[in-house]
Amino acid sequence: MKQRLDSRLWAVAGKELIHILRDPRSLTIIFILPLFMMIIFGYAIDMDLKEIRLAVVDYSRTPSSRRLLQSLNASPNFKICYWLDSSREIEPLIKARKIRAGLVIPRDFAEQLREKSKIPVQLLVDGADANSASILINYLKAFLADYSLKPVESYFTPLLRVEPRVWYNPELKSANFVVPGLVAIFMMMICAMLTSITLAREKETGTLEQILVSPITRTELLVGKLLPYVLLSFLLTGVILGFSCFWFKVPFRGSILLLAFSSLFYIFSALSFGILISAVAPNQQMAMAISLVSTILPTIMLSGFIFPIPSMPKILQWLSYLIPARYFLIVIRGIMLKGVGIVAIYPRLIALLLLGLWFFLLSQRRFKLKLG
Amino acid sequence: MKAVLHMLRKEFIQIFRDRFMVAIIFFVPLVQLFILAYAITTDVKHLSTVICDLDNSHLSRELISRFRASGYFDLNYFTRRPSDLKKLLDREKAVLALVIPAHFSRDLKKFSSPQVQLIIDGQNSNASVIALGYSLQIIQRFLEDQLKGFLGRMPELGQYIHIIEPELRVWYNPNLKSAYYMIPGIIALLLTIITMLLTSLAIVREQEIGTWEQLMVTPLKPYQLILGKIIPFALLGYLEFLIALGIALLWWRIPFLGSIFLLAGFIAVYILTTLGLGILISTLARTQQQALFLCWFVAVSCILLSGFFFPIENMPRFFQYLTYLDPLRYFICVLREIILKGAGIEHLLVELIGLLVIGAGVFSLSLIRFQKRVS
Repeated sequence: MKQRLDSRLWAVAGKELIHILRDPRSLTIIFILPLFMMIIFGYAIDMDLKEIRLAVVDYSRTPSSRRLLQSLNASPNFKICYWLDSSREIEPLIKARKIRAGLVIPRDFAEQLREKSKIPVQLLVDGADANSASILINYLKAFLADYSLKPVESYFTPLLRVEPRVWYNPELKSANFVVPGLVAIFMMMICAMLTSITLAREKETGTLEQILVSPITRTELLVGKLLPYVLLSFLLTGVILGFSCFWFKVPFRGSILLLAFSSLFYIFSALSFGILISAVAPNQQMAMAISLVSTILPTIMLSGFIFPIPSMPKILQWLSYLIPARYFLIVIRGIMLKGVGIVAIYPRLIALLLLGLWFFLLSQRRFKLKLG
Repeated sequence: MKAVLHMLRKEFIQIFRDRFMVAIIFFVPLVQLFILAYAITTDVKHLSTVICDLDNSHLSRELISRFRASGYFDLNYFTRRPSDLKKLLDREKAVLALVIPAHFSRDLKKFSSPQVQLIIDGQNSNASVIALGYSLQIIQRFLEDQLKGFLGRMPELGQYIHIIEPELRVWYNPNLKSAYYMIPGIIALLLTIITMLLTSLAIVREQEIGTWEQLMVTPLKPYQLILGKIIPFALLGYLEFLIALGIALLWWRIPFLGSIFLLAGFIAVYILTTLGLGILISTLARTQQQALFLCWFVAVSCILLSGFFFPIENMPRFFQYLTYLDPLRYFICVLREIILKGAGIEHLLVELIGLLVIGAGVFSLSLIRFQKRVS
């Protein structure tokens, strides 16, 4: 009995493998496109706002206001593109998207600087892109606070020295963060797309009925369908990861074996998610539409790939527990950038395993309904 | 023309026969919209922080309470052993550590400049810079207030402290609600994905199962076939876009400052380019699976290069030029400008030309490829 079970399972797996290998054009697409995307986005994605374009209006025209503006222009984050005569000229520039914000220095800036302890300047911001706007405001506030305290600091020895230390990514390179993240989110999408059509295709072409009349059980069928894709996805992860580490020179501080082992958990949960889609969808078109729509945005937005999970509303934080990429992102970054061992990541691996099993069992149940 | 109408009828029957399909086209984007509208913020809040206070004095507790009061930091861990810090940061329990040295209070009062250590997990370089900025601001404010305390005793130093503070005026979205900016964008993304995928699959599917040849032997010309295939999706996509946008604007009470007709015109132009992309993909793919992967490639590329998640100004020059090929880049900008700023056509000429050029380019390319395949 055991023997027969195994042989049936391998028969399905073998058949699926032949299916995959028979179509070299698809295989090429599956391997080439992600590499191509890694190169583009490894470079293109950089979250730091560099050179925020500003316009300034200096009503004061005194040495002290000029000193402030010059040091603003010299700072790496800001670039003064327009020196205007009136604050009325700011709005058309913002409307035409030539600048992100305008800074207005009041007429009595220099006098206030001598007399008062708080000096207001006016900042007009284009809020249409709320994210960039709030980053801009924070950068400018930090700049002004720093600028204001400089003379005090130089007068007496610094009262308090702050020693900032950056761990894990000391040169603060965006690519070190983005590249492992891209590997994780691309693999999620690819795995789900790969398996989402397997059962749907059989439903559409009618070969599912042929399988149903054979003595194979549901579990054997599903596991048999999954196995070749585990192999394919594992290979693909290796290729993408190897390529991008080499290309972008991302540090790899931990153990490769541990990462390979952990990626199996991730692949399992992502492929199971695809199988679930496949079990639910009536045909290939629907399976594909669901897999694209349900993976692209949620994986990019809810996984912590770029947007920090603790900043999200509570409900979305709970929802993010259902996104496999959430766990694997921590695992892959932990192993590559922090060099952590199994002790630091095993809770995430268990979560991935449970999530994968849940998707798998759910698809098994849904699939049974379809038979009846 | 009559022939096209018959074809259209067939296509509509095919689409509406499949209730699942209609549900996917209409409801899934709406559901996702409601979920994702709140997700995105690059702002840094609730950073899990570990405090290592080796001084435990009145002043050190004052500094710590300022970190807590700021709202940016969740002080989840307190420790006296610096060795714990690595463990907590390694396991992602904390991303920031504040270490206050022993004798902090005494040294501060004696002006012998104690050294405070801030350790930050630098993986997310952008978030780390922002978080460091916040912490430095807090420490500076703390110092200012301490200085004022000292100045009571040394009034001659008062002239050196002037803090320049910005007075904020935020236009178009005064409360900086990210939903204002997210929602039109998400609708655009979802519709791009769906219209492009369904158009390309509709064509590839007929080729894969062989019914395409049956259509080819009918008196329909190739362009009529394509028209028949894409018009239903164009109409559906258009309708859905208006409905989704209408619901979203009402639900979130997003002020609509611009002209509805201008927006409707832009949506029409944009949907034509996504359908054109769909046709182009269908001429490149032999199977539905290939079409799926190509659509994925185009969709993800369009999304990530559109400037929606990642500001275009930050990209290296070459990639900034690349974004000019991305129709979504223009469209998201158009949505934002018309809805939030009430921009007129005179501010959106570049976007209009960009969309038209891309649309025309994609359409002619796909027709050329299509003719080749037919003959």
